[in-house]
Amino acid sequence: MKTVPVRIVAVLWGLLALAAVGQALTEQQKAAPPVMSAATEVQPPGGKDSIKFLVVGDSGTGDRAQYEVADQMWKAHAVFPYEFAIMVGDNLYGSERPQDFAKKFEIPYKPMLDANIPFYAALGNHDDPNQRFYKPFNMGGQRFYTFQKKDVRFFALDSNYMDKDQQKWLEDELKKSNSKWKIPYFHHPLYSSGGTHGSEVDLRTIIEPLFISSGVEVVFAGHEHFYERIKPQHGIYYFTAGGSAKLREGDLRGSSAMTAKGFDTEQSFMVVEIDGDVLRFQTISRHGKRVDSGEIRRTTS
Amino acid sequence: MTRIPLAALAVLAVIAAGCSNTDTAEPRTLAGVADQAPRAPQNKTAAQPAPPPPLTQSDAGVNAQGAATLEFKRRIDAYIKIHNEADGKVASLKKTDDPKEISDRERALADMIMTLRAGAKPGEIFAPEYQPYFIKIVQDDFKQRSAADRKALIVELPAKMKVDINTIYPTTIPLATFPPLLLRKLPDLPSDLEYRIVGRSLILRDVKANLIVDILRDVVPTIPS
Repeated sequence: MKTVPVRIVAVLWGLLALAAVGQALTEQQKAAPPVMSAATEVQPPGGKDSIKFLVVGDSGTGDRAQYEVADQMWKAHAVFPYEFAIMVGDNLYGSERPQDFAKKFEIPYKPMLDANIPFYAALGNHDDPNQRFYKPFNMGGQRFYTFQKKDVRFFALDSNYMDKDQQKWLEDELKKSNSKWKIPYFHHPLYSSGGTHGSEVDLRTIIEPLFISSGVEVVFAGHEHFYERIKPQHGIYYFTAGGSAKLREGDLRGSSAMTAKGFDTEQSFMVVEIDGDVLRFQTISRHGKRVDSGEIRRTTS
Repeated sequence: MTRIPLAALAVLAVIAAGCSNTDTAEPRTLAGVADQAPRAPQNKTAAQPAPPPPLTQSDAGVNAQGAATLEFKRRIDAYIKIHNEADGKVASLKKTDDPKEISDRERALADMIMTLRAGAKPGEIFAPEYQPYFIKIVQDDFKQRSAADRKALIVELPAKMKVDINTIYPTTIPLATFPPLLLRKLPDLPSDLEYRIVGRSLILRDVKANLIVDILRDVVPTIPS
């Protein structure tokens, strides 16, 4: 009978044990977002009964940046307890297999999902429109939809395909709404100082007149992988928040006269509070710095 | 002055009426619904209007644009019949927590349509004799845009991507935004279909099945480098 030396068996056994530990660690990493040490500079909300929400954009990479930003989002929640999140598109980059939904959405945002914080997604150009059937995106099976939170009506649009049906629907819904605040959000920014994409002029031609005539004062978008607050255009404040995982560093044209505030050196997200006639916003970087903040007072009666 | 025959105008009016989807204007049951619930448009695929009859000799007076639109609509309706037939043969999709259900259903619907349309060839919907009409619409639209706008649009288009009729649109390739002003100039589509541009081709895509239904190649102008 052939025998194997004890030392070889011991070495093999050791290698097997190491492989098992490695596998366990990998699984653990998959199951939980990494813990970051940087503290958040998020300020607590000002109003007691205000509506508080998170703005996430261009997030679905499944990479380290997304996980670190997600960690900051959860840290922010401890100080600024937002009740829901809006996603301005590109919710999943690349393939959309079940494991991608896990890696690019369910695992990084697990603390929020476990805390029953609903996400309301809009579709980006990287998203399969059939994401609308994915329950955790709360799209009600539709490419575009609306929902109400107290005095605020949100309109999640599909800016990838602004056909006549959607225009008509938007026009009707905007007219119909008596809410104090009407907040559309969608993927493509109507105004942008981005060097790669820039403003979506076509889309602007069609939907901005509807916003103006129906008293919209704040709009959120993504697509550009940075943060930008545009100087008010026709009385409307436009935010681009497309850097919650992807980053296009240095893409903001510094010479743009439209920019009120821009941030393109780190990933970011926003927390927003609506307190009666006042909207307060804070923009937080991947490492927890508050890079922009301010308040907007509603002017339409 | 160019004169348009009255008959042609009448046909165009009928087409316009047939193409415009006004059912989204239906009142929605909002007042009694809890404020927090998402509200969305009605699904329009359930009841399709009966397809118009094929062009006949009596339509000979229709101008080229009217004829192209009419024939296009007839072919779209024929496709939607197949889509609905396939849709009825696979398990229906409800909102789900499980993304696998979504992708499985999408694939099953696509497979069923591919089977029902086996042997489909480019030009099944973009009828060859009317393709110049669609090409002109797209090219005129691009001509009217500034160089910067044209470039911005073209840069976003997925390039180097091989597409073919009756195949799945690659799920890892982004769907480029369709220019809304161009969309206004093309004939309306039912909600289960959409136009997309891939490289220099205009495609018709089945939204629920993620399937390329037809292709019109070399439509988008190139930009000089």
